[in-house]
Amino acid sequence: MSEYILQMKDVSKTFPGVKALDNVQLEVKKGEVHALIGENGAGKSTLIKILAGIHKPDPGAKFYFEGEEAKINKPIDATLKGVSIIYQDLSLFPNLSVAENIYIGQDSNKKPWKKINWKSIKKTADKALEELEVDIDPNTTVERLSIAQQQLVEIARALAFEAKLIVMDEPTSALSSSEVEKLYKVVDKLSSRGISIIFISHKLKELFRVSDRFTVLRDGKYVGSYQAEEIDEAKLINLMVGREVSYEKNEKQVETGEVIFQVKDFYKQGNFKDISFSLKKGEVLGITGLVGSGRTELAQAIFGVNKPDSGSLKIYGKEIRIRSSADAVKKGVAYIPEARQTQGLVLEQSIINNISLPILNRMRNKLKLLDRKSEVQLAEQYIKSLDVRPALPNLPASKLSGGNQQKVVIGKWLSAQPKILIIDEPTNGIDIGAKTEIHKLLRRLANDGIGVIMISSELPEILAVSDRVLVMRHGRISGELGIQEATQEKIMNYALNSGSKKNPSEALDDTSRISQGV
Amino acid sequence: MKALLKQKEISILAIILLIGAVLSFVSPVFLTIGNFLDIIEGNVVIGILAIGMTLIIITSDIDVSVAALTTAVAVSIGYLFTFLPDSWISVLLLFLIAPVIGLVMGLINGLLVSIIEIPAIVVTLGTLNIIAGLVLYITNGNYVNSTNFPQSFMAFANYELLGLPILIYLLAVVAIGTWFILKHTLIGRSVLAIGGNTQSSVRVGIDYKKVKLFVFAYMGFLAGIAAIAQTAYTKAVDPNGMLGLELTVIAAVVLGGANIHGGRGSIHGTLLGVLLLAIMQNGMILARIDTYWQNVVTGAIIVIAVSYDHLSYKRSQDKLAKIEVEA
Repeated sequence: MSEYILQMKDVSKTFPGVKALDNVQLEVKKGEVHALIGENGAGKSTLIKILAGIHKPDPGAKFYFEGEEAKINKPIDATLKGVSIIYQDLSLFPNLSVAENIYIGQDSNKKPWKKINWKSIKKTADKALEELEVDIDPNTTVERLSIAQQQLVEIARALAFEAKLIVMDEPTSALSSSEVEKLYKVVDKLSSRGISIIFISHKLKELFRVSDRFTVLRDGKYVGSYQAEEIDEAKLINLMVGREVSYEKNEKQVETGEVIFQVKDFYKQGNFKDISFSLKKGEVLGITGLVGSGRTELAQAIFGVNKPDSGSLKIYGKEIRIRSSADAVKKGVAYIPEARQTQGLVLEQSIINNISLPILNRMRNKLKLLDRKSEVQLAEQYIKSLDVRPALPNLPASKLSGGNQQKVVIGKWLSAQPKILIIDEPTNGIDIGAKTEIHKLLRRLANDGIGVIMISSELPEILAVSDRVLVMRHGRISGELGIQEATQEKIMNYALNSGSKKNPSEALDDTSRISQGV
Repeated sequence: MKALLKQKEISILAIILLIGAVLSFVSPVFLTIGNFLDIIEGNVVIGILAIGMTLIIITSDIDVSVAALTTAVAVSIGYLFTFLPDSWISVLLLFLIAPVIGLVMGLINGLLVSIIEIPAIVVTLGTLNIIAGLVLYITNGNYVNSTNFPQSFMAFANYELLGLPILIYLLAVVAIGTWFILKHTLIGRSVLAIGGNTQSSVRVGIDYKKVKLFVFAYMGFLAGIAAIAQTAYTKAVDPNGMLGLELTVIAAVVLGGANIHGGRGSIHGTLLGVLLLAIMQNGMILARIDTYWQNVVTGAIIVIAVSYDHLSYKRSQDKLAKIEVEA
């Protein structure tokens, strides 16, 4: 018998135009908790999807389960080998009961007319829940459970399948700290029972708390595997990034002028509280904080999508009330959401059609029909000023790279001539070169007098672009820093523990978690 | 108990009782057993079709070809009568042949939806037109063979058991059978799973295409049975008699609490939806409201019911706190 539950060797995966994985290997011992880490885009998810049978690897890859070679062609093959995968978005059926969710798939090889055996469903579910020592009523429908409970149901399902290897993809990202602690205990329990776990997370401290070994991927390549004892966080970060992340500074080039935008006492139950800040002309305001600190909810509240319970807004000293997102645009507020592809662009439409979208009513001729010529002119103007490449106005937005798509989104909102531009994670999923370009662009907009509010998880980005930084934590502003005094450590301190004294080195550790783009 | 009260089905029942109470004041005829049996017997066809449609809607699809399908089977039955001898064996045979004809047509819908992956609305719009066109070509739009229905079939159509028309039993059998499939068989579970979370159901090894094929084939099967019921109820084969009925069927399912986006729906809910529509129609006839206004009222009730449902859903989503705000 092999000491390894799983060995994946020479795994490569080519997607059209991209080599997502290049001769990667992964070896997991029996009963160990194995951390799989790497930056966004390093290839972790692709590797897991290959293990799950969702993606097919390029020819030449070899899989061994307990030392024996095996093929995985479809999801059920992996399941039969004892692999259970708990995806970040979970795989539960909200309309079915907990027990049914735990049992589902057990009898997928039986005849469809076979009667459901409620007794064995109940027995399996009770047993799995008992093993986890969790108190969840197996008869409730899953949609009534909290995320943490749902996750436990997924783990119970894995147990019911007699999983020998459980993959957890960012399992703690949606949990509160006490729930996270409970999950760790469950992980410990599973591994003490001989079940192996692959743990994917960006939170380094967490990984050191649970993991026995680490495998690091970088840019689709295998960097190495390390025992937890022989490595520390600093080393790990070095292996992951292989280079220092830092961007060119974009310092203020104009004198800051009058206050152009003011938020006062914004409050929404379950979202944020006591939010007041102002923005001066020529300034870029950075807002950061951990995911789930209320940044995006606040931005959406300003934009009228997620209406606050109380609070007021002033633009150029005039109090305004925003009733809807359309109203916000009319009053000079633009908001560029994080999900560029799904919320920001009509992907199948041309650059022209995307850019003119917010101001179509101004694009009409005397007959009140759409005037193609002014649309084209507008698009060409922004393609030129934002340096969109390729500069082909008729190209569908889907054909552009991420960075250029983002420029089109920015152009689209600039065409509405906003006074305030709120941009959420402006460079998410964009390559380094394009990031720098977007940073410069934001600075230029501020120079031109637009109030720019940038929300970002990436601290180097916050430091490179902002003049002032607001840090949010649990729905409140926990700190405000001028760019001169701001450092990653200070920001992290505010993001993690407002006011309370926590030893600074600990906060420093978490810097990685935020700057790796949690 | 509280969970029970929260169920959609209970609120539909409440509306039915409310409307019933109003109607029993408006018309003394309403609250009679005879009227009630008439209402139910008159809606057996819609009920059977709605039960099949429930499965399709749970998987987040739709079938607009059901009325055309049922008509096609009914027309086939009309022609079959000229071949079959006048005997009770023929009636039994009918219960074999009609569902099979329906099943084949349903399978065609299902294959196009599951294998070629054409959206169901497009597929069934297409088959609706093909079938309806063929039916009119074959029949010239005339009643088929309706003057000389076999005596054995007429006897079946008029048969009563314990004072209840046979068609009501037919509906009951279909309802209980389908409920059993949905609740207690693997294929039924897969239907619910696909509606609840398509991606996950694939991850746990459910054969998505097979399930899609099943729901459309089963719909066809039930359309065959509905065709027998329709022929027995009207004692005629009218190629235009069910024009637009698919909309009533879909409306009943949606009124019954099924979610058009999939995942939710139940047989008892759908039956209540059918009953609600039927009682409204019956009540308006008893109250001598003009036919055109009946349509307007029915349409309005559907829109209001669905809007209410969706609004309460949105409100409950809104209430979910996103962030643990520090005090």
